[in-house]
Amino acid sequence: MAVVTKEEILKIANLSKLWVSEEELEALTRDMGEIIEFANTINAVSDSAEEFDGIHRLSNVFRPDEVIPSYPREKILKNVDGGEDGYFPVKKRG
Amino acid sequence: MAVKYEMVAGLETHVELSTRTKIFCGCTTAFGGEPNTHCCPICIGLPGTLPKLNERVVEYAIKAGLATHCRIAENARMDRKNYVYPDLPKAYQISQFDKPLCEGGYIELSNGRKIRLTRIHIEEDAGKLVHERGDTYVDYNRGGVPLIEIVSEPDIRSIDEAKEYLEKIQLIMKYIGVSDCKMQEGSLRCDVNISLRPVGSEKFGTRCEIKNMNSFTYMERAMKYEFERQADLLDSGEEVIQETRRYDVESGCTESMRGKEDAQDYRYFREPDLVAIFTPAEKVEALRGQLPELPDSRMKRYTEMGIAPADASLLVKYQAVAQYFDAAADGVKNPKNVSNFMVGQMFRRMPTDEEKERCAIVSAVPPENLNALVKLLDEGKIRMNQAKTVLETMMDTGKAPSELISAEDMAGVGQDDLLEICRKVIGENAANVADYLGGKERAIQPMIGAVMRATKGKADAKAAQQMLKQMMEEGVK
Amino acid sequence: MEQKRPGLIRSLQRRLEQKELSCRELTEEYLKAIERDNPALNAYILTTRLAALETAERVDARLAAGEKLLPLEGIPMTLKDNISTDGIETTCCSKILKGYTPIYDASVWGLLKKNNAVLLGKTNMDEFAMGSSSENSCFGGSKNPHNTERVAGGSSGGGASAVAGNLAAYALGSDTGGSIRQPASFCGVVGLKPTYGAVSRYGLIAYASSLDQIGPIAATVEDAAAVFDAISLPDPMDSTCRGKQSAVSGILTGEIEGLRIGVAKEYFDGIKQPEVAAALEKAVRTYEKLGAKIVSFELPILKYALPVYYILACAEATSNLGRYDGIRYGYRTENYKNINEMICKTRSEGFGAEVKRRIMLGNYVLSSGYYDAYYKKAQNLRGTIVKAFQSAFEQCDVILAPTVPMTAFPVGFTGQDQVETYLTDICTVPVNIAGLPGVSVPCGRDGKGLPIGMQLIGNSFREGIILNAAYAFEQRDEYLSECFSKVEMGVKF
Repeated sequence: MAVVTKEEILKIANLSKLWVSEEELEALTRDMGEIIEFANTINAVSDSAEEFDGIHRLSNVFRPDEVIPSYPREKILKNVDGGEDGYFPVKKRG
Repeated sequence: MAVKYEMVAGLETHVELSTRTKIFCGCTTAFGGEPNTHCCPICIGLPGTLPKLNERVVEYAIKAGLATHCRIAENARMDRKNYVYPDLPKAYQISQFDKPLCEGGYIELSNGRKIRLTRIHIEEDAGKLVHERGDTYVDYNRGGVPLIEIVSEPDIRSIDEAKEYLEKIQLIMKYIGVSDCKMQEGSLRCDVNISLRPVGSEKFGTRCEIKNMNSFTYMERAMKYEFERQADLLDSGEEVIQETRRYDVESGCTESMRGKEDAQDYRYFREPDLVAIFTPAEKVEALRGQLPELPDSRMKRYTEMGIAPADASLLVKYQAVAQYFDAAADGVKNPKNVSNFMVGQMFRRMPTDEEKERCAIVSAVPPENLNALVKLLDEGKIRMNQAKTVLETMMDTGKAPSELISAEDMAGVGQDDLLEICRKVIGENAANVADYLGGKERAIQPMIGAVMRATKGKADAKAAQQMLKQMMEEGVK
Repeated sequence: MEQKRPGLIRSLQRRLEQKELSCRELTEEYLKAIERDNPALNAYILTTRLAALETAERVDARLAAGEKLLPLEGIPMTLKDNISTDGIETTCCSKILKGYTPIYDASVWGLLKKNNAVLLGKTNMDEFAMGSSSENSCFGGSKNPHNTERVAGGSSGGGASAVAGNLAAYALGSDTGGSIRQPASFCGVVGLKPTYGAVSRYGLIAYASSLDQIGPIAATVEDAAAVFDAISLPDPMDSTCRGKQSAVSGILTGEIEGLRIGVAKEYFDGIKQPEVAAALEKAVRTYEKLGAKIVSFELPILKYALPVYYILACAEATSNLGRYDGIRYGYRTENYKNINEMICKTRSEGFGAEVKRRIMLGNYVLSSGYYDAYYKKAQNLRGTIVKAFQSAFEQCDVILAPTVPMTAFPVGFTGQDQVETYLTDICTVPVNIAGLPGVSVPCGRDGKGLPIGMQLIGNSFREGIILNAAYAFEQRDEYLSECFSKVEMGVKF
C-alpha cells in the first residue's frame, strides 16, 4: 500500500508552488513515500500532557513605537530588474 | 407559497491601527508617499530578516478589546498564515490563530440587541498590487501596517444592524484613539458573511463571504443583492454554494471568486521568530484606566441629563463635539439649552463631518463663552430669543457674551415700563382687543408680538401676555 | 594553568602586535593560498580580495598609531554564504539567489566588521543549509583537506574545509541539525553550535527558525571560545536572542576534576564504524584519567529526534522558503503566461532536488488533515526530548557522544538513499531539538587517516563548561599525536 499517492504529491506540489513533470512524479512519489514513512515512526511514542511552548522560553520582547528612517528606494529595488518607475514589476506583458 | 427568509450575518472587520510605525519594523505608517519609499529589509521580507513586535500595537489591541467588553488573554501568541500572493513578501502573514489577544466581547445596538464578538487579534497588512495595461506591479509601503481583525458571531439580522454595528465599531475605535477608521482611506474595511434561513428556523444556512467592503453604501448594496440572490436560489429549490464573492461596483452584483480564494490551506503554525505575549491582570487594569468615557456611557449620561436621544446621538458621534459640550454645560442649570444651541445653531456653521470631527466652531466660540451665555439665561438676565441672536453674533465675531450684552440689555424690562408699553399696544390695537374679549384667544398673539418688538425682545413674553390679559379684562383702553 | 598551546587567533594577533608581519602581509598570504589551493577544495565560492586588503590596511594604520588590537581584529576569516553581507553577493549556494546582494549586514557580521575582522570571502554550503555533505550546492561540493576524495561534510562544508585547509583562521557557519559540528568532525577541526538564542539570527538566511544557530569553526578550542564570546551578544533585531550568559574565554583552565561526564547508551549503540567506536571509548577513558566522573544512563527518546527534526525543520523551511518567487530579488524564469506560472517555474528551476523534497515534506506535515498527526505531534515530542535532556543534566554536567557515527564519506556517496543520508545526523540533531550547546572536537583518526570527532553537549547557556572540558582534552600532550592531523596546504605556520 502506497504511503502517499501521486495525486497527493501533485496537490502538495501545487501548495508548494512547484511544478513536477510526469517523469519526476514517479521518483518523487517514491522518495516522499520513504521520507513520510520515516516521519511516521513518531507514532510509536505517546503524547506528553504538556503543550510545548517554544524553545526560546521568552515573553514580551517588544519594540517601541518610534520611527526609524526607511531605506532609500534605490536600495529596496536594487535586486530587481525594471524597477524604474518605483514599483516592483510582477508581470509584464511581452 | 413564498417562504420568508431571515438574514443571518457576521462581519470580519479590519481596522488599521494609528501607530507611528509598522507592526514589525520601524518604518513609518504615514499615508501617501512615493511607492516603496516607506520600506526596509524587514517589511519587504528580505532573506534573513526577523520581525520585532511594536508594543503599542499590543496596547491598542487590548484597548480595543476592553472597549468592546472582551476578555484579554493572559497568554497570547503569534502564528504564520501561509499563502502565496505577490503583495505578501514573505509568502506568509504573521497573524494570530488559536491564542488571540482578545475574546468574547459584544457591541450593543440601539434596538437592545447585542452582537457578540468572537475575537480580536493583531496581524500585519499586505502591500498593494497595481494593475496597469495588463501589467502588474507592487508597492510595499502599506506592507506591515498593523491591523486588528474584529470577528463577530453571526448575530446580525438586517442590513441596518450591520450598518449600525460597523458605525459603532468605527466610533469606539476613534474614541479610544487607536484608529481614524476612514473607510475611504482604507483604514477600516470588512468582509461580510451572509446566509439565509426560513424565518423561525434555528439551523444555519450555507454562508457566502463577500470580501473587502470599503464603503457603507457598497456594503448595503452588496448585502441587499446577496440576500436576493440567495433567496432566489433557495426559492427555486437550489442550494447555496459556500464560496467567497466580491462586490462589483459597476454591475451592483456580487460575483464568485471561486478558484482564486477558495480551498486555501493556510497551514497555520506558531511563529518561531516571535515570543509569547504575556499580559497580567495589572497591565489590563492599567490600560483600562487609560480609556476615555466610551460612546455608550456618554449617551446614557446625556439622555439622563434630559437631552433628546437624537441630539445626544449627534453630540456623541463627534468626540470633540461631546468634549466641547461637557465643557460648555459645566455648572449649567439646564444642559438642554447647551445642546439646543449646539445642534440648532452651531452645527449649521460646521456642515461637514470633518468640521464636526474637530468641532471647528471652537475657534470662534470657546466653550467658556457658550457656558457664560447659558448661565445668563439661567439667571434670567436675558431671554431665549435674545440669547439666540447673541449667539449668532458670537459666532460671527468671536466675541464673548460680556462684550456683546450691555448692562442695560440685561436689566430686562421694569414693571412700570411694561405697564406703559402694554397700555400703548392696547390703545393701538382696538380691533384685537375687541376680538379677544369676544372670545378669540389667539387675538392676543400679535399684541404680545408688538410688546416684544417695542421692548426689543427684552420683555418676558409670558409676563407680557399676563399683563395684557389682565389689563384687557380690567377694561383698560 | 600555563597555556600549553595558544590558539591560532592569539598567535596571529601577537605576531601582528609585535610587528613580525603586517596585517596586509598576513592577508596577502591567505589570499595567495586561496588562489592556489581553493580549486582543489572548493571551500570558497567568492573571495573579497579588495575589501579584505582595505580592512587589513585599516588595521595596520591603527597598529602604527600604537593602538591595541580589538578582539579578533585583523584576523582573516570567512562567512558561510547564508550569512547576509551588505553589498556582497549572498546566495546560500542556490541558483534561486544567484546575484542577490543584501542591502544590510547580518548582526554577527556587523559585530565582527566593527572590530576589523578581515573577510576573505564567502564559503560553500549545501543549498539553503539542507544537506550533510555540501554537495547539494549549485557550486559543487567542498572537499576534505585530509583527503580530497572525501567530502568536507555539510552543510557548512566550505567553512570547515577552509579552516582545516589553512585558508582561513576561523569561519562562521550555521547549524540546524549538525551543520557546524559534522563538517568540523569530518575535517578535524573544532566546531561549536551555541545554545539556541545565544547568537543572533538576524541576517542568517533562515532554514529552520527554531533550530538554526550561527557558530564558529576554528582550529582550536581557545579560538572557538574567542569567536563565541565576540558574537554572542543580545540583539534588539532578534526577539529570540538573549546573548550568552557569561564570557567563556577567561574560564578555560582545563581543570575538570569532579566534572560529571554523561554517556548515553543510545549514542554509542548506533556507531557503525568500529574505529569511531574505539576512539570514543578511548575518549571516555581519557576523561576518567583527567579526573572526570563518568555517569552512564539511557536516553531512549533519542531515536525519535531524527523524525521530529525532519518534520519540524521541513515545516519551518517550507514557510521560510515561500518568499523565493523572483519578484523582489534572485532568479526569475524568463517565459511565463501569468503570475502563478512565473512563480512555479521560477521555483522549480531555481531550487535543487533536496530543497524541493524538504519543501514538499514541510507542506505535507502542515497541510490540513496531516497537521495533528505530524507537526503537532512532533512539537509535543520536542517537549519530551527537551525534558529528557533536562533530567539527564541533573545527573551529569556534560554529555559525551560521537559527532558522527562515521568518518567523512566519499565524494558522490550521498544521494543514493534518502533516509540513510538523514540517519548520519543522528548524533547531532537531538542537540538542536533541545536547543542546547554542542561542540565537536577531534578525538582520533581512522585507518585511512580521516579525522574522528567527539561531541560535548552541555545544558543551556553552559558553553563555558563544554569548552573547558574540550580544552582539557585538547591541551594534553598526547593530543597532537593522537588526534591532530597536519594538512599540507594553505598558509604555512
